[in-house]
Amino acid sequence: MDIAVLVKQTVDMDQIKLNDNNEPIMDNLPLKMDILSKNAVEAAVQLKEKYSGKVTGIIFGTERSTSTMKEAYAMGVDDGTVIKGYKKSDPAVTGAVLADVLKKSKFDIIILGDQSSDSYSGLLAGILSSELGLNVITNAIGIEIKDKIANVTVESENEDITVETELPAIVSVAQEINEPRLPKVMQIMAAGKKNINIIDGNPDYKDDTRIISDKAPESQRKKIIYEDGKGIDEVAKILKVVK
Amino acid sequence: MKALIFSDEPKNAREILTYLRGKMEMDVISTEDKELPEYGAQKVYFYKDGFVDNLSKFLADHISKNKYDFVFISSTNIGRELAGILSYKLKMKCMPEIFSFEHGGKTITKRFFHGGKTVVEEESDFHMFTVSAGICEAEKTDKKSDVSNINLDKSNYKIINVKSKNTAGTDIRNAKVIVSIGRGLGSEENIKKIQPLVDELHAEVAGSRPVCLDYKWLSEDKQVGLSGKKVRPDFYIALGISGQIQHIAGIRGSKTIIAINKDKSAPIFEECDYGIVGDLFTIVPELVEKLK
Ligand SMILES: Cc1cc2nc3c(=O)[nH]c(=O)nc-3n(C[C@H](O)[C@H](O)[C@H](O)COP(=O)(O)OP(=O)(O)OC[C@H]3O[C@@H](n4cnc5c(N)ncnc54)[C@H](O)[C@@H]3O)c2cc1C
Repeated sequence: MDIAVLVKQTVDMDQIKLNDNNEPIMDNLPLKMDILSKNAVEAAVQLKEKYSGKVTGIIFGTERSTSTMKEAYAMGVDDGTVIKGYKKSDPAVTGAVLADVLKKSKFDIIILGDQSSDSYSGLLAGILSSELGLNVITNAIGIEIKDKIANVTVESENEDITVETELPAIVSVAQEINEPRLPKVMQIMAAGKKNINIIDGNPDYKDDTRIISDKAPESQRKKIIYEDGKGIDEVAKILKVVK
Repeated sequence: MKALIFSDEPKNAREILTYLRGKMEMDVISTEDKELPEYGAQKVYFYKDGFVDNLSKFLADHISKNKYDFVFISSTNIGRELAGILSYKLKMKCMPEIFSFEHGGKTITKRFFHGGKTVVEEESDFHMFTVSAGICEAEKTDKKSDVSNINLDKSNYKIINVKSKNTAGTDIRNAKVIVSIGRGLGSEENIKKIQPLVDELHAEVAGSRPVCLDYKWLSEDKQVGLSGKKVRPDFYIALGISGQIQHIAGIRGSKTIIAINKDKSAPIFEECDYGIVGDLFTIVPELVEKLK
């Protein structure tokens, strides 16, 4: 089975500091594999282990994305392409760039994370399904494959629904699908030596949005904090209106 | 100006209708819901057995035919799938996850970015949006909408199994008072230690993601946050919840937030109105005494 997994590299958002204007300082932040991309890689590698085949990792990023591809290799991805040219979160552009590369090979299943943790847009799976003319199922918590059919279990609030679809298909995964493995030192060492295919993407970014401001939201909360055993009377008084 | 609103969840559709009311004319497409025609849309369309393929086909035709100026799709699983497909098919770029929309000449929207760390305010001439749940509190109007049913084509996807989860009935999104528990509660057993507070305040119990998803002390429909429910009670009482950004995303609509946490530097204290630093197992019983 030929499996593609789409991987996103992000800055470590926990490390973002704010300047005096409450704006994020984006320089020199460490990069890492996005949370749900890890689940996507794990899901792809598990499919390979179960049904045999090959996993191809694809990152639309920059020249600095090789570190994340190495991480994917260490987790079990066989072959990887880094497409250079990523500038900003723009699902339409990302979709077009990825589709260009995905079109050149044949995959039975294309796996990605459901929403990335910077913007939570979650538009990419739908865009790719249109670009490539493939079925799409999102927010998967389980994938079973038989012949050319995938049974994908999708989580919603009140029920888990298992849907049958023909392959090839695009499946985005939720965090609950698995616990991403921690690669062993040997695997990390081996991954470092593996070749990464680096190509130029031709992203067609348009100047169609203008950022007016990008600031940490100012909390309108009162923030009255009591310590040393104090505050119970005050809070009880406030809650009394309920009764 | 005229907009089409789509949501598979009528609750979200009602909120978006309320939010946009007065700004433009609106039609809405959703699943069967008795009250939806009372929220100010001109036309309400109901569909059944909608999947991403038959819905995207229907919506693409319907949007082109009716020449809507704007399309607002609520951010649910299927909503995001559809927004991706429709933005490609109709060549309408989509601004995702907005929680604020203003239009005069240009469109100005707001959404969270960097994982919720910041809010970006953007100017664009986009016409399609996914709308974050809980954009406002839904309110009815006097005006009744025309209602019709849509017949969708048969989907190519086959549902082969549906497993219901045990959900405990009440919808926390409608609660006036919520006592919400986090990992700090320690164990499922300990729920009974906070139950007197719940009873005293006639509250609903909700929880953070680990509590609902990983430990299953509560059912999944009680999860509050970015990937759970967005709640807007009068009082949200957070017990042993650290207040990570993904949790805060679900409680911003609360009128008053009260937090009890033993860690003075817990981020929840940056997002609450009243906070008590201390052990919840000593503070909660004292609070219950005072409330009696
Ligand atoms: C993509 C994504 C989506 C997510 N979506 C959600 C979501 O929808 N909702 C959500 O909640 N989380 C979500 N999370 C998880 C989130 O990042 C946090 O991990 C989670 O909210 C932490 O839960 P918690 O506060 O219960 O636990 P912890 O962070 O472990 O906090 C426990 C707190 O309890 C306090 N405590 C311990 N003992 C006591 C005591 N005896 N008395 C008083 N205080 C005590 C501790 O000081 C601590 O602050 C998401 C994460 C990701 C990556």
